[in-house]
Amino acid sequence: MIIADPKPFGQVKEYIKDYKRVLVVGCGTCVTVCLSGGEAEVQLLASGLRIALGKNGKNPVILEGTVQRQCDEEFVVPVLDRVRDERIDAVVTLACGVGVNFLADRLGSVPVFPGVDTTFYGASAGQGLWAELCAGCGNCITAYTGGICPIARCSKHLLNGPCGGSEKGRCEVAPNSIDCVWQLIYDRLKKLGRLSELQNLLPAKDWRTASDGGVRRSVREYLQEPK
Amino acid sequence: MSDNNGFKSGSNLERVLRAGHFAVTCECGPPKGADVEHLEKKINLVKGCVDAANVTDNQTAVVRMSSIGASAILVRNGVEPVMQMVTRDRNRIAAQSDIFGASALGIRNMLCLTGDHQTFGNHPMAKNVFDLDSIQLLDMVRIIRDEGKVNSGDPVEGGIKMFLGAAANPFADPFEFRVIRLAKKISAGADFVQTQCIYDMDRFRQFMKMACDMGLDKKCFILAGLTPLKSAGMAAYMNKNVAGISIPDSVIQRIRGAQKGKQAEEGIRFLIEQIQEVKEIPGIAGVHIMAIEWEDRVREIAERAGLLPRPAIEA
Amino acid sequence: MDKECPQVSAGEILATCSAACPVHTDTREYVQRISRGDYEGALDILLEVNPFPSVCGRICHHPCESECRRKTIDTAVSLRMLKRFVVENTREYRVSRQKKPAERKQGAVAIVGSGPSGLTAARDLALMGYRVSVYEKDTKLGGMLAHAIPRYRLPADALMEDIQDILATGIEVRTGCEVGRDITFQELRKDHDAVLIAVGLAESHSLPIPGTESSGVFLGIPFLWDIANGLRPELGGRTLVVGGGNVAIDIARAAKRLGTSKVYMACLEKREEMPAWQWEIDEAQEEGIEILNSWGPKAILAENGNVSGIEFRRCTRVFDEEHRFSPLYDDSETTQVDVDSVILAIGQKACLDCVSESPVTVDRGRLQCDRSSMATSERGVFACGEVMTGPGSAIQAVATGHDAARVIAHFLQTGETLKIAPRAVQTIGDLPAETAARAKRFERVEVSLTDPAVRIGDFSPIEPGFSEMEALKESRRCLACATGAYLESEAVCAGCLTCVRVCPFGVAKVDRTAVMPAQQCQTCGLCAAECPAAGIALSRFATNKMREKLREMLAGTVAEKISRPFVVSYCCLNETTSREFLREQTEAEIRETGILRVMVPCVGRLSALDLVSPFELGADKLAVLACKEEGCFYTGAEGLLRRRIARAKKFLDEIGVGQESLQLFNTEGSAEQSWPRIWAQLRSAAPDDEVIAAQAAAGGDSR
Repeated sequence: MIIADPKPFGQVKEYIKDYKRVLVVGCGTCVTVCLSGGEAEVQLLASGLRIALGKNGKNPVILEGTVQRQCDEEFVVPVLDRVRDERIDAVVTLACGVGVNFLADRLGSVPVFPGVDTTFYGASAGQGLWAELCAGCGNCITAYTGGICPIARCSKHLLNGPCGGSEKGRCEVAPNSIDCVWQLIYDRLKKLGRLSELQNLLPAKDWRTASDGGVRRSVREYLQEPK
Repeated sequence: MSDNNGFKSGSNLERVLRAGHFAVTCECGPPKGADVEHLEKKINLVKGCVDAANVTDNQTAVVRMSSIGASAILVRNGVEPVMQMVTRDRNRIAAQSDIFGASALGIRNMLCLTGDHQTFGNHPMAKNVFDLDSIQLLDMVRIIRDEGKVNSGDPVEGGIKMFLGAAANPFADPFEFRVIRLAKKISAGADFVQTQCIYDMDRFRQFMKMACDMGLDKKCFILAGLTPLKSAGMAAYMNKNVAGISIPDSVIQRIRGAQKGKQAEEGIRFLIEQIQEVKEIPGIAGVHIMAIEWEDRVREIAERAGLLPRPAIEA
Repeated sequence: MDKECPQVSAGEILATCSAACPVHTDTREYVQRISRGDYEGALDILLEVNPFPSVCGRICHHPCESECRRKTIDTAVSLRMLKRFVVENTREYRVSRQKKPAERKQGAVAIVGSGPSGLTAARDLALMGYRVSVYEKDTKLGGMLAHAIPRYRLPADALMEDIQDILATGIEVRTGCEVGRDITFQELRKDHDAVLIAVGLAESHSLPIPGTESSGVFLGIPFLWDIANGLRPELGGRTLVVGGGNVAIDIARAAKRLGTSKVYMACLEKREEMPAWQWEIDEAQEEGIEILNSWGPKAILAENGNVSGIEFRRCTRVFDEEHRFSPLYDDSETTQVDVDSVILAIGQKACLDCVSESPVTVDRGRLQCDRSSMATSERGVFACGEVMTGPGSAIQAVATGHDAARVIAHFLQTGETLKIAPRAVQTIGDLPAETAARAKRFERVEVSLTDPAVRIGDFSPIEPGFSEMEALKESRRCLACATGAYLESEAVCAGCLTCVRVCPFGVAKVDRTAVMPAQQCQTCGLCAAECPAAGIALSRFATNKMREKLREMLAGTVAEKISRPFVVSYCCLNETTSREFLREQTEAEIRETGILRVMVPCVGRLSALDLVSPFELGADKLAVLACKEEGCFYTGAEGLLRRRIARAKKFLDEIGVGQESLQLFNTEGSAEQSWPRIWAQLRSAAPDDEVIAAQAAAGGDSR
C-alpha cells in the first residue's frame, strides 16, 4: 500500500487562500487505510480550512467529497463533474501523489493541490504505525535475501551485507526506530538454513527497471485495445 | 595473491607488505575547504613515519576537499596516499571516472567504502546515491584493473594500477557475519584490509581466529586499526555514540585513572601497548593508526612503538 | 414513537431483556431514556405495551432481569426498580397523557373479570374505539392484584394508578355484578357482540385428607381476600401453610404480619424444586418463617374440632421422569407439627359460575378454549388470562389480554376467528464471555428492605423505591445492547482494521468490510470516532447527528446574540451526578449563559472532527467534561480520548484557534458542582479580543 502523511496545515491553507470555491477530495483506498486521506481527514481538513480562512477574513466555500480511488478514470469522473457543475475553482486532493497527477491531467484550467505528502510503499507495523517495505525497484531481489528487501529497508540500500553501523540489530541512522535489515536477513536465512548464500556476491544492480530507466509503464497487451 | 608475475600496483604499501614488513598506515584528513597549506602541514607531520596515509572521502559525510585532490597533493609532497572512495556520493559512472583520474594523478592505493550515512554529516538533507555498495565497488575496480573493462563491459583505454583496500569492522553486528563479509570483500578484490579501531582485543582476537581459520590472512593483508584515546571523556562518548565501536569499561577506567592532565599520555601509552599486542596476533600484517586530528603525535607513537624507521623498498 | 434507536432489525431481533418479557417491553429504550433524565419518555415506552407498569414495578417477577446480558459481566440491571422509579416520578404526566379513542367503532364487548388480562384487553379494545364493559363480581377492580397480593408487596394506590389510567380510556365498569347471578350470560351475549371471559383462577384447591373441615383450617385465596379487604382472620399462635409456591409465601408472610408467633411452610418439593421465586423464599426466611421441605400432608389433627397439628409423610419424589406432577411418598417416615391453624395454598382453580347456565363448554372444571384463537366453544365468546393459560404471572396475563383484544377486534370486523401464531422471538443472543471479560464491572444499586423485625409488624411496604440518583446510576449500568456501531455503507469501508485495533472489547472484525456484531458490541463508539472513512455510525447518539443539531442551534442570528465567550461543552452522560444538566436548555438560556451543553453517552466517542467543528460553528471554547477519573464505563476509552484530544489541540494550533481553546476535564466530586466551576473558569479566562486578533494575524502570516 502507498503510505502518505497529512501535509502541514499551513501549506494547504496557503495553496488555496485566494480561491473562492474549493473542493477537498479524499481517496478511499491506501490513504484511508493509513489514516491520512480518507473521508474523516477530508472533513477535518475542510473544517480547519473554513475556520482558519474565516479568521483571515476570507470565507471561501469549502466542499467535501471522497471517491473510492483517485487513480482510475471511472472513479474520478464524478469529481470532474462536480468541479464543473459546482463551479469549483481549486481542488485539494488527499490522495497520494498518483491521485494529484491523475486529477491534474484531467482538470483543465482548475488547479489541484496536494493535501498529503506521499512517503513510501509500506505496511502496518502496529496500531498507528506504518513501515517502508518495498522501494518499487522493478527487479525484485528478495529471493536472495530471505524475502526481506535491503533496497527498501537498508538506509544505504546495501546488497552485500551490513555496514559497520549495525549494532544490536539496529541501524545507526536511527537506532530507536530502524532495524538493521541485514540483521533481519541474516537471522531469517539462518532460520531457513540458507546462511551460506550470504557468501555470494550480489553484483551491481541494474537500475533501469527502477525510475532510473525513465518513466515507467506497465503493460498487459492482452487487455489493450488494438491500435 | 594469485598475481605471481608482479605487483598489483607497485605502491609502496604493497611493496612493504609483500616484503613481509609490518606495515604502518595512518590517516590524513583533508581540510574543509581548499586550504592546501594546512594539508601540507599535516603531510609533513607524518612523512617518513608511515608507509602510506589514508585520505578520507568526506568522512562522516562532512564536506571536505575531495580525496582525489588531496591524495594528489600527498603524492606531490612525497607521502603515498591511500585514496578512500565512498559510494554514497557517486554512481558507478562518477566512480570509474574518478578512479581513472586518480590513477592518472599517480595514486596507487585506494580504499573502497560505502561511506557514513549523510544524516551524520553537515548535509543531512542531501540525496544519497549508493548505486553500488563497497563490495561492488571493489569488484568493479578489480575488473577495470585486471580485465580492462568498465562495469558495462566496455574496454578501458590504458589500464590502471591500483592496490585495493577494504575496511572491516569486527565489532559491528551480526558478529558471525563479519568474517563472511570480509571474505566477500577479499573475493571481490580487496588486497588489503584496514579494520575499524580496536579496543576490545579479546573480540578482535576471536575475529582474527575465524579469519585465519578461513585462510583469509593468506589472501590479503590485514592491518589492525587503532585510534589513540585523548581522554576518558572521548572514550566514553565513542563507546556510547558511535555504532560499531565498543570500548571495554576497563579501558575507560584506565584512562580516567590517569593523573590530571595525563589522560592523553595514558591514551598513547595504551595505544603503544596495543600495537605490541596486535603484532603478536596471527594474521596481522600491520597497523592502521587513526590519530584523528592528532597527526602531530603520529611520529611519537611510531617512534615509541619501535616502528621507525620505515623500510625503503626499491620499486 | 420517536425512539432513539429501533431494535437491531425493527421488530425482529430483540435484546434479551425485551425478548424475555411476555409483552416485549422495549426495556433498553426506557432505561436509556431514564439515563438521559427523560422519565416521561420512559413512561411512554412502558405504556406502549403494558397498562400495569405501577403493578409490575412492584411485583413483576422480572424475566427481563433474569435475561439481562449484564449478568455475564457482573449482575443484572435492576430493571423492575427502574420501572417503579419511572411510574413514581411521572404521576402528573401519566394523567395528562391519558386519552380517549379518536373514533368510535361499531361493536360492544363484555369482559368478565377485571384482573390484569381482562383490563388489558378492555383498554386495547377501548382505544381501538369499541364499546367495552367490564363485569366484576367484587367491589374492587384488579382481580388477584386487588385481592390476593398482600399490601406490603403491592400497595393499593400503586394498583389504583394503573386502573385509573386504564379506565380513562372510557371503559364502562360494572363492579359488584356477578355474571350468572346478577346478570345472566345470555343477557350479556345479547347486549354485546363479543364476550371475553377473564375470570382468572380465583378459588383455592382444598386437600383430600382428613381434618380439613376442622376449625382453624383456611383456604389460601379467601384468606388473602380477607386481609386485602381489611379483615383479620383469626389465627392461633402457630400457623402452618401448606404449599411451596409464591401464593403460599404471600400467605405465610401475611400470617406472620397478623401476629402469629410461629409460621411454618410445608411443601412436597425440595428447597431447590420449590416453585416460589428464590428472593421470596429468602425474604420469608428473614422474617422467621420456617420451611419444611419434602413433606406431604397426611392428616390435619384436631382437638375438639380445633386444629391441633398436622401430620406429614415423607415425599420422595414430586415429578416423574417426564416432569409431570406425580408425587411418591414414603409412609414409613412421618412427622407431626403442632399448630393452631393450617392454611392451604396448594393451587387455584377457576370459578366458572358465570357460564354454568350457558352453552359454553366446561370440561372437568376447565373452560374449553383454543389457545391460538382464544375462542371458546361458543362463537363470539373468548377467554384470556389464567383461566385459559393456567397459573402464571401478572405480565403473562397482560400479554394474553393484548392477544384477546386482537382476536376480538378481528372478530368484530370480519366475523372470523383469528389464530395468533406464537411469535418467534429472535434475540441478539448472550453476551459472549470473552467480550464480558473485557468490560468494566459496576455494582448494582441495591435498596435495603425494611428490617425483618420491623416489617413483620404490619402490612406497610417493605421496599423503598430508588432515589433519582440511584435510578440514574443504575440506568447507566445498562449496556444499551445492540445500539452500537454499524457500518453505514460497505462501499466506503477500506477494510483498514482501525476499528479492529481500537475496539477495547475485541468485537470489531473485518470480513472484507468492517463488522461490529450487535451481539457483542458494547456501544462505546471508539471505532466510529476513529474510522478514517467516517463510515461507522452509532445507533445510539450518533455524533454526526449531534453536529447537525449543533449547526441548527447555532445557525443564523442565534449565534450572534450569544453571550461571549461562548463555551460549547460536551458532557459525559454516564457521569451519574449530572442530574441538573439532563434538562434540555432553552435557547434563551444558551444565549444568556454563553454555555451550550451537549450530553454524550461517553465523551470517548467524540471524533477529532467533533473536537474541531464547534469552532466553525461559532464556539470560542470547547470543554470536554469526562466522568470522574478512572470512572469511565468503557475500557480503554479514556486513554484514547486523551490522545485524540492531544491531536485535536495540535490541529487547533495549526488552524489558528489555539490549543488552549479545547480543554479536557474530569469531573471532580459532583458534576453539579464541578461543571459550573469549569464553565465559569473557561468564561473568565478567555483572552480578550485583541489577543485573539493578534493570534489570528500571526496564524495568517506564518508561511
